[in-house]
Amino acid sequence: MKRQRHHHVIYPVTMKERLYTIVLGPLIIVALMYLVFALYPQFAPSGQAVSLATITIAALHTLARLLVAYALAVVVAVPLAILVTHNTAIEAVLLPVFDILESVPILALFPVIILLFIQFNFLNGAAVFILFLTMLWNIVFTLVGGIKIIPKDIIAAARVFGLSGFAMLRRVTLPAIVPQLVTGSILAVAQGWNLIIVAEVLHTYIPGGTSAQDLFGVGSILVNAAANAQTHVFLLSVTVMIVIIGAVNFFVWQKLLHYSQRFRFD
Amino acid sequence: MNIIEFKNVGKRYLGERTPAVHDISFSVAEGEFVCLIGPSGCGKTTVLKLIAGLEEKTTGTITRPDGVSMAFQSGALLPWLTVFDNAALGLRQRKERAEKISQAVDRELRSVGMLTLHDKYPADLSGGQRQRVGIARALAVDPPVLLLDEPFSALDAKTTAELHDDLTKIWRETKKTVLMVSHLIEEAVSLGGRVILMRDGTIDQTFQIDLPYPRRESEHFHREVMKIRREFFR
Repeated sequence: MKRQRHHHVIYPVTMKERLYTIVLGPLIIVALMYLVFALYPQFAPSGQAVSLATITIAALHTLARLLVAYALAVVVAVPLAILVTHNTAIEAVLLPVFDILESVPILALFPVIILLFIQFNFLNGAAVFILFLTMLWNIVFTLVGGIKIIPKDIIAAARVFGLSGFAMLRRVTLPAIVPQLVTGSILAVAQGWNLIIVAEVLHTYIPGGTSAQDLFGVGSILVNAAANAQTHVFLLSVTVMIVIIGAVNFFVWQKLLHYSQRFRFD
Repeated sequence: MNIIEFKNVGKRYLGERTPAVHDISFSVAEGEFVCLIGPSGCGKTTVLKLIAGLEEKTTGTITRPDGVSMAFQSGALLPWLTVFDNAALGLRQRKERAEKISQAVDRELRSVGMLTLHDKYPADLSGGQRQRVGIARALAVDPPVLLLDEPFSALDAKTTAELHDDLTKIWRETKKTVLMVSHLIEEAVSLGGRVILMRDGTIDQTFQIDLPYPRRESEHFHREVMKIRREFFR
């Protein structure tokens, strides 16, 4: 079986390998869940039905929120990482600040963020903002690491050939951090999926809130289904979510991981 | 006519108590091939960086032309660019016309035997091939001075010998001024018209090598090597 080895990490390359690792794995988990529900009658599907179409559309809403938050996180993280590594004085000041900000539990801030966004009747903004904060530091720190491992010879060679400022950024720094951007993005979006379960169920953070204030998405359907013992809806939501995560991994991240290997220094 | 001139040059890095180099005075004539040798940490790479403009001197005066070019020990190729695009880096930065870039890069890749691999990526190349591309990149900008920082130190003996021959041929054909840092006395004597021995951050001795090329097999070559070796290990 043909494999590509880079930096002691083996990435699935062939279609067969990618099917095994990314599609079959999650499907086995889903099948096991169905099996557990089948074997234990107390968990048998019950409650009000939500159609597969509704859950799928909800999942796409969730995906859209994640994508907007991710795009914002990248747009902010790249300049931040470049700024913090620009010189040692800036790094000495900013990096500890970033460390503290990263350590602040995002969910502790969520009620405040919701109260802020509810003023503008923009609750989607609250969810996107909390997802953005979750993703941001993952990407920033992996990019900072990426910039720091650009070999000195490469920087020296670029300077000898007249590259500086924006040209250095465009021709050397930005391409050099592509592998870290990809791995950081995978981690960030994974954390986003973790948080989405909470980020869409807004009513628990609003004093006197009702489920009508929740955002339409697979996260809120999942939580409400669990709370109301709608096992069938719960199972279907988890399945749709896993399928979407698997598809994104298969069609986007694995391809980007493979492509990004070209940008790695030996 | 001298193209490079150092007068009492010193360089102290920020936070260091002792200077990396001090009281360096020497000159290089146009078309000369000079090798800098010396033990590790003696300051030879710092001298090269000062000529390349990668470091600023702390004391003294340096005369050097603009557009100095350099090849590095690691090759220092950008892994996401093809051989051609790597070799074209300097010319693209100078915003030369595409036709001129193509001609110059093809010429230099041919001179180092890499033209047929122009569309390969550095990951597809051997260490020797990467070095060849690094040299082609340095030559493509038609520099007045070519600096080489231990370009062959990571290569096997056979590849090194081949590259020595290629470099000698290129130097004789182009009449470029070449300054090379090496930690091998044999290499310096094999290539250089002059060998400068550095020690403790300054120039210790200079040796004129008046031998015809190719030098490696001649008796005089071994005699010169032995002479410098005695001083090196003094």
